Formats: sequence, structure tokens, C-alpha cells
Amino acid sequence: MIPKPIRLTTIIEGIIMNIYKKWFWPLVAPALILFAAVVLVPFIVGFVNSFLAWRGTYYFNPETNSRATSFFQSFVGLTNYKEAFQDERFMNAFWYTIKYAIVAVISINVVALALAVFLDSISKGAGPFRTIFFLPNMLGGLALGFIWQFIFQIVYTDILFAPDALLHAEFLRYMTQDTTKALFALVILNVWQYAGYMMIIYTAGLNNIPTDFYEAASLDGATAWQKFRKITVPMLMSSFTICLFMVIANSFKLLDQNVALTDGDFNTRMLALQILRTTKDSTPPNYGKAQAQAVIFFVIIAIISIIQVRATSKRELEY
Amino acid sequence: MKKLLIGLSIVALACSTSIFANGASESTTKTEDNSIYVYNSKGENAEQFAAMCAAYEAETGIHVKNFSIGSGQDHMETLRAEMNSNDMPTIFSIQGMKELPEWEQGGFVQDLSKVTTGDFGKMVQAIPEGLRLSSDGMNSYGVPYNVEGYGYIVDKAMLEELFSMDPTADIQAASYDEWANFVTTMTKWIASPSAAKVTLNGKVYTLASQKGPLSKNLTGVFSVMGSEKWTYGDHFINVAVNAVFGSSREAAEATDAQVGELEGAFEVYAKALDLKTSNLAGANGPAQRGQDFVSSAKFGYDQAVQIFAQSKALFLKQGNWAYGNIEGVDADVASRLEFLPVKMPFTAQDVKRTDKDVADLNSSIPVYVPNYFTVNALVSDSKKQMAYDFLYWLNNSETGKDYVINQFNFIPYNADPATTTVPNSLGNSIISYIDTDHTLSAPYNGSPAGWSGDTVGKFVMENYLTKLNWTPADYKTIADYAVSTWQEMN
Repeated sequence: MIPKPIRLTTIIEGIIMNIYKKWFWPLVAPALILFAAVVLVPFIVGFVNSFLAWRGTYYFNPETNSRATSFFQSFVGLTNYKEAFQDERFMNAFWYTIKYAIVAVISINVVALALAVFLDSISKGAGPFRTIFFLPNMLGGLALGFIWQFIFQIVYTDILFAPDALLHAEFLRYMTQDTTKALFALVILNVWQYAGYMMIIYTAGLNNIPTDFYEAASLDGATAWQKFRKITVPMLMSSFTICLFMVIANSFKLLDQNVALTDGDFNTRMLALQILRTTKDSTPPNYGKAQAQAVIFFVIIAIISIIQVRATSKRELEY
Repeated sequence: MKKLLIGLSIVALACSTSIFANGASESTTKTEDNSIYVYNSKGENAEQFAAMCAAYEAETGIHVKNFSIGSGQDHMETLRAEMNSNDMPTIFSIQGMKELPEWEQGGFVQDLSKVTTGDFGKMVQAIPEGLRLSSDGMNSYGVPYNVEGYGYIVDKAMLEELFSMDPTADIQAASYDEWANFVTTMTKWIASPSAAKVTLNGKVYTLASQKGPLSKNLTGVFSVMGSEKWTYGDHFINVAVNAVFGSSREAAEATDAQVGELEGAFEVYAKALDLKTSNLAGANGPAQRGQDFVSSAKFGYDQAVQIFAQSKALFLKQGNWAYGNIEGVDADVASRLEFLPVKMPFTAQDVKRTDKDVADLNSSIPVYVPNYFTVNALVSDSKKQMAYDFLYWLNNSETGKDYVINQFNFIPYNADPATTTVPNSLGNSIISYIDTDHTLSAPYNGSPAGWSGDTVGKFVMENYLTKLNWTPADYKTIADYAVSTWQEMN
């Protein structure tokens, strides 16, 4: 005899599938139209523009040195891409972003994992702590940037680490006024912002580890560190993949915090800000070149995302 | 079934696009009739601007759709978006030579020198050459929005307390050496007051032997916005650019060799900046160059205005736009303000232009047109005519002038200096400089995009404002950098 509940779910499933099949297009259409209108079409237009001498409001004809009358006159081939790679500022921003991404990925994940393990180990008050750690993530990047600018300029420089303070530490003063220090300032800001978010992912991963594993290990006399190394870390692999790549992708896309904290001063322009400022670097503005940089930027993010999806699904197969 | 649904969604898509298209065509038909669209790139007078447009509609029956950017919003991005839409502005305002190349190359700006008939034609022909927006000396692309000026702002009551008489005329005429001596004497006086003597314009003045009610607040001579690159990157350096170029067009057309002639003027600029930033006022006592000085939480715009408005500094280099900020801190101080020239130690060799000499440069303040109204060349002739009528009305009718002077708090470009007064002390000070013909222009606007504030200003901020002691070699480095980056970016 087939148990009743299973039959009921089969029926419901059947009905739902039927509804899905019938209503697939009408349900998907709004999202599809929106996606096409605000992502796909602009992307294609932008891609085309990256091969043209586009000036924002008109197309430029490099041969006559005036406004072009057709697209074809404005076609410059790969010139915009060549200029982007030759642009010292673009390359500086590129390497600075990579350096930032490396430091940020390590710092954010170490802190997030530590917080998650800490919350997992305490029995009381984990809820409020989780909320508090997650809270910074609710603030916008610009607001955060300005708050931390104040913290670095006044709290760090004049109060906490000033020469007459208890914790005098010169390297923690004037954090926003040096290329390297500003990189760490940005990391501190983003650890504060993202660690809580990543912590939630790790917490979910920790909750999925069966307690029997730890019990068995304890019976065998494993130390806390051994349990962490041999059970927690391998079992958290899928969480690691998600967190690692989310932080990498976010690091490359970082803009607001960069603008608010240093605005690119002291050689701290990151990729997104560089693209944004390219149109201000010349008159008339070179939107074609900015667009070429944006396409390069897209390719980088796309590669990272593809690796992320691949790696994540590979891990998932193992379980 | 599937095909039907795909068909349906295509219909839905078509409908939605036709709604968008309909929306657009509706607004075009609306502007085709008796109305114009004015794009205002200033955010601070948005409300008054809308009221002015309503007043025009009330007088003439012509509807003026107006758009002012939000405060702090990027006016160029928004303007480009509007220019890409079906409903293009009929009149739009731009920041002179700095932004003209884009609109000229794109064919968006109407050459107003071609308009020779009617009141508007006469008005355009009468725009003084120094205020004309021209890329080649012949054409004329805009009607000045207003004029602005800047220099060392000083509280007259403070000077009278220090000198027991009004020395402004002699400070204005003083040589750089006299000025520099006055500045260093003042720093000593602030530390310990004595009846020291200073020579200004050849006349000997004796300082008060004791501090008075205002001067007891002084902590230094200059209040400086160390974190605001544009103040020393754009405006301060502009005084030096004036030694070689008379207009932004000359600067824009300059060859590498002509740019090279700025070397001496830029060294002089660095020296003057050294003097200024070596005699700093702070919020709680004298300040000095260093990392604190470029911190926006300590020496940003608001902080520096406050230091000055609380009588902690004798001078603040800013423009008449700062009047409202100073008034916000202390209305009494704001009512007693006056401009003094930004002086630099020019020698005759540094000055390459023939119409001004060292004394002229050191006794004048930059007065220039920050924004121009331009007419869209791509709209119909009837629209253009409506735009001309509107601009004529704004600058010549009683109502229009009243709005410009009393509501926008601007100095009209066509004001008669002998008879015009505006409701703020700094505006009137500018008018008196215009009246006595002691004005410089803003040729830095002709320098390459991003050169002044974002390149030189940044270099000075990152490497020098953080450094306590400067040497003559530093002056040379700053000058070399300014010249070579201009040449590279050209």
C-alpha cells in the first residue's frame, strides 16, 4: 500500500507542474522584458559603443575631426581597448584592485569564519550577536565610507592612536593618506561591512555538519584544533566557495566606499571608480574608451563568476 | 499554446514600448507649441529659478519648462542624458571654455554672433570681449549667467581694530614683499602683540599694541582648506596662469612652448602658497602643514569657513559664493567683508602678457563668468527665437534683473558698476574692482581637462601640503610638474 501523504504530494506536484508549464511564459515575461530593457540591450549597445569614438551625446569622426554623420565613420576598431591598456591610470587601478581583492578575501573570510565558529560555540545570546554583526551590512556604501573616513581621520588619528594616547601606533594614523595604508583602511571598512553577511553563510554551513562527527572524534581523543581542521573545514567547503567568490566579485565591483573614503586620492583609484572618472579625464569626454574599460571589467567579473559557478557545483556533487 | 503565449508576450512587449514611445512623443508635441525648456546647471538657485520662469510665463504667456540639478549632482551627466532624449533643452547652461569643446564639436551650441538683428542681437554684440564665450575669437556661444570673483576675504572691522584706520586701499596696492612682511609680522603679533610697524604701499602703519575684541580670537593669518584641491589647484594657480594668458581661449590654444613660459609664474605660485600655508590658522590655535592639514574632517570647506567666520583667521581665500556660508556662521562678520588681491612674488620676467604688469597682477582679483546660457542649435528656428527673447528678458527687463540680483544673489554680467549694488558685501566688493578695472580673468579654464585640481592640486596636496618645510627646490619641482603635465595632457 502506498502511504497517503506521498500520493497527496504527487498530486500537488502534478498540479503545480501543470500550472508552471502553462504559465511559464506569462510568468517569466515581465522579468525577461525588464532584464532585456535594463541589462541586455544596454549591454549590447555599450559593447558596440566600445568600438566607436563615442562622446556621450554624439559620435565623433576622427578623420574629419568633427561630429560623425553615421556609425561607420566613427568606427575605431580596437583603439579604445588599446588606449585603455596603455592608460597608466587604468593599469594602476587594475593592480590596486587585485591587491585589494587578495587582502580582502583573506581578511573578510577569516573574520567571518571566526565569528561563525564563535556564535556556534556559545549557547546563550547568539541571536543578538548575529544581528549586531550583520547590522553594518544594512548601511549603504557611501554612508559607510563617510563614517569610516571620520573614524580614520579623527578617532584613529587623534584619539586611539595619537602620540599622547595609550595605544600610540603611528602606522594606524592618517590611514587615508597613503596608498598602502588606504588599502588596509578599505579592507577594515569592508570587513566590518561584509563579515557579518559571510558569517550567516558560514553559520548555515556549520549547522549542516552532523554533531555525530564531533562526538566520534571526541571519543577518539581529537583536540579542538584537530576537529576544526579535519571536520569543520572539509565540511564547510561549499560555504567557502560561495564566500570566497562573493568577496572577490564584490572587491572588483567596489565603488561607493572607494569614492567616499579617499575618492582616489593618494593613488587609490579602483577599477569601478577609474571607469566612472574616465569621462572626466578629457574634453570632449571619451565615452568610447570608458565603455571599452567597462567591457574589460565585465570580462574579468564574468570569468570570476564562471569559475565560481563551476567550483560551487563541483563541490556540491561531492556530497 | 506555447506559440500563443510567446505571441501574447510579444504583444505585451510591443504595448509597453509603445507606451514609452507615446510618453516621449507627448512631451515633444508639448514643447513644439508655445514653450521652451531651460536647463539650469546650478542647483543652489533651483527654487528661485523656477519662480523666475513662472514670472516669465505670467508676463509673456510662454511656458518655460525648467530643470535645475540637485545640489552636488553632476550637471554634465544629467545634461548629456537630456540631450540624448527626444525633449532636448532649448537653453542650457555650461561652465564656459571648460565644457564648450564637447558641445561645439557635437554641434549643440548656436553661434550667437550670427544673430545680428533685434534687441537680442544688440545684446550679444555688446557682450564685452573678456566675457565672451568664444573658441576662435570670432564666434560667440553664450550669454553670461553671472560674474563671480575671488580673493582674500577679510573682515574690515578686524583690520580697523588692528590698524585703528582702514588700510584696505594700501593693502590692495602693496607689493608682494610688503605683503609677505605684513603676513609674517601678523603671525608674530598673534603670538605676542606689540606695536609693530608694517609698510604697505610705501606708508608705515603701526599695529595695535594689544589685542581687541575681534583680534583676540585670531589663531593665524590664513584659514586654508587643505583638503579642497580646487582651492589651490584651480583658483590659486589661476592667478599665476594670468601672468601669461589673458583668457581661457589663449590658454586653450597654447603651444607647448607657450605653456613652457608659465614655469616662472608657477614657481612664484609655489612660493606664495608656501607663505600662505606657513601662516595658518586652526580651530584651536595656530596650525601647520602636515597630515592633519589635508584631512577633510579638519581643514575641509566648512571647517575653514568656520575658522574664518569666528575671527580666528585674518584672511580666507574664497569667492563671493562663500558669502552664504559665512553668513550662516556669523551674519555680522558677513556684512563687513571685502576682497583683497591674491599676491604672488612675480618679477617682470614672469609676466609674459603685455597688457598687465606685476603691479596690475598684484592689485587685481579674478572676476569671470562661471556659467553661460547657450542656445541649442538643433532646435527649430522659432524655438531659437523664443530662447533669444527669454534671455533678453532675463538680462534686461526689470523683473528679470530683480531675480538675478535679489533672488539669485548674483552679479549681472551687464551691471553698470557705478550704479549697481547687490545685497551682499562680497558682491559689492567685486563690483568695485570691476569699477576701477582691477580684474583678472580665469584662463585656467583653458587648461587641459583634469589638469588643475585633479593633477596639480592633487600633486601639491599629496606631496607638499603634508610636508612641514619647503625648499626652493620644491618650488621648482612643483613648477616643473605643473608645466610638464599641462604639456603632456594637451
